[in-house]
Amino acid sequence: MSALLSIRGLSAGYGGADALDDVSLDLAAGETVALLGANGAGKSTLLKALIGLVPARGELRLDGADLGGLATEARVRRGIGYVPEGRRVFPGMSVRDNLEVAGRSAARDRAQDVERVFALFPDLAFKSRESAWRLSGGQQQMLSLGRALMGRPRLLLLDEPSLGLSPKLADELFAAVRNIAETGTAVLLAEQSAARALTVAPRAVLLRLGRVVGDGLAAAVSEQALHAAFFGG
Amino acid sequence: MAALQLLVNGVALGAAYALVALGFVLVLNATSAVNFAQGDLVMAGGLLAVAVAPLIPLPGIALLPVVLVLMAALGLVLALAAYLPLRRRPPVSVFISTIAVGIILQNGAAILFGPEPRAAPPLFGDDTLHIAGLAVPEQSLAIVAVAGLLIGAQQWVFARTQLGRRLRATAQDPEMARACGVPVTAMILVTFAIGAACAGAAGLLLANRYFVTPTSGGDLILKAYIAVTVGGWGSVPGAVVGALLIALFEVGVSSVLSYPVALGALYLTLLAILVLRPQGLFGEAVRRRG
Repeated sequence: MSALLSIRGLSAGYGGADALDDVSLDLAAGETVALLGANGAGKSTLLKALIGLVPARGELRLDGADLGGLATEARVRRGIGYVPEGRRVFPGMSVRDNLEVAGRSAARDRAQDVERVFALFPDLAFKSRESAWRLSGGQQQMLSLGRALMGRPRLLLLDEPSLGLSPKLADELFAAVRNIAETGTAVLLAEQSAARALTVAPRAVLLRLGRVVGDGLAAAVSEQALHAAFFGG
Repeated sequence: MAALQLLVNGVALGAAYALVALGFVLVLNATSAVNFAQGDLVMAGGLLAVAVAPLIPLPGIALLPVVLVLMAALGLVLALAAYLPLRRRPPVSVFISTIAVGIILQNGAAILFGPEPRAAPPLFGDDTLHIAGLAVPEQSLAIVAVAGLLIGAQQWVFARTQLGRRLRATAQDPEMARACGVPVTAMILVTFAIGAACAGAAGLLLANRYFVTPTSGGDLILKAYIAVTVGGWGSVPGAVVGALLIALFEVGVSSVLSYPVALGALYLTLLAILVLRPQGLFGEAVRRRG
């Protein structure tokens, strides 16, 4: 498989302090990778650096095209979808408007994409006219994920999607992520729940204190390596 | 009958105030910045209508598209000069820059037009219609109709079009809007243009019955501020309703007592709302669920 996403020597952070240090990583088209690590490991910062929400140094390429210097909205147009930690739906807008705002310019394309999202998350279809703030946490997470799909991404960045969800809802959400991955969309999944992430990702990248400390097949990730990534040692 | 007459006058004044407040709240929502130049933009719209009227020998309504376009362009200039360069600075920078723009507009208008009050032409005519015992100036009806159409058109754009969704998303969470592919900077420019166009339209509507002077914007920015506070800080429908309420209050109290008393009572009411109900009378019940 050729590299869809190529990261070389990436450093990024907030207010002059680097939360990521010299990260290099490749992601193939259609591949699902779990990004694992403790709080503060740099998982969210890496995703934000990829979408352009935090300033970063180093080389970032999507399908060979340099992303450096591109604004966030341009990266989205190049095919990156982003689901942030904490859902961040537009609370005063309806479910349908939350989806449409992230969609294509042509109304017919948008309508087709909304129907695809509704097919993936039927709960949203029933609440399409409701304001997003009225949805439950799980429904908001589905909406946030569906909204990212409206841009027809080639690479989907998911930041802690199971955070705050009941185990049942988290399982449903991960089943949806598996479905999305099966359609050929590459997924980079930042998750604190390693066990759950590894049910959908055949490969895991371990981050600790902003550095990559492990990268390999999920089946080969040892308890010892996970323990080291989360707790050090 | 007198009450009905006052209602007609209050609604006409409130419709124009609503346009001022609408432009103010749109910019507030999109940028979190209080545009203190909004009242002076109303004045600029009124004087622009006065200046252009001799060039277009048609009823005042023909001036509306000209005023809308030119004021939208002025809104773009305002955004480019006084907002975008300062957007990452502390909010007080933008407050001061918009105050500075207002002062520049006031002084520019004083140089170009002088301090005396001027009147724009009526939108359709300046006759008074007698309807069921009520004396209704044509201009009042025209103000209500034009303001209603503009507010309705704007609501339609915001509710039904992709541009409107993008503007609303920018107002609610600009960072997330970017992450959804929305060109946020362009949306902010559009918002300033719409806000200034609203102010310009209000200036045209008000400048016939209430005249316009280079300093008349100061009073209007306070009215917009009060309308948005009464209606709920950031609420678009609240701003429109708040504007109608303060106009009815102003007209009602003025008729019984006097205009200065009405203004004093209005500011006291504002103070009471700020203390007792800071979210406004119609504060939006928007919140996040866990």
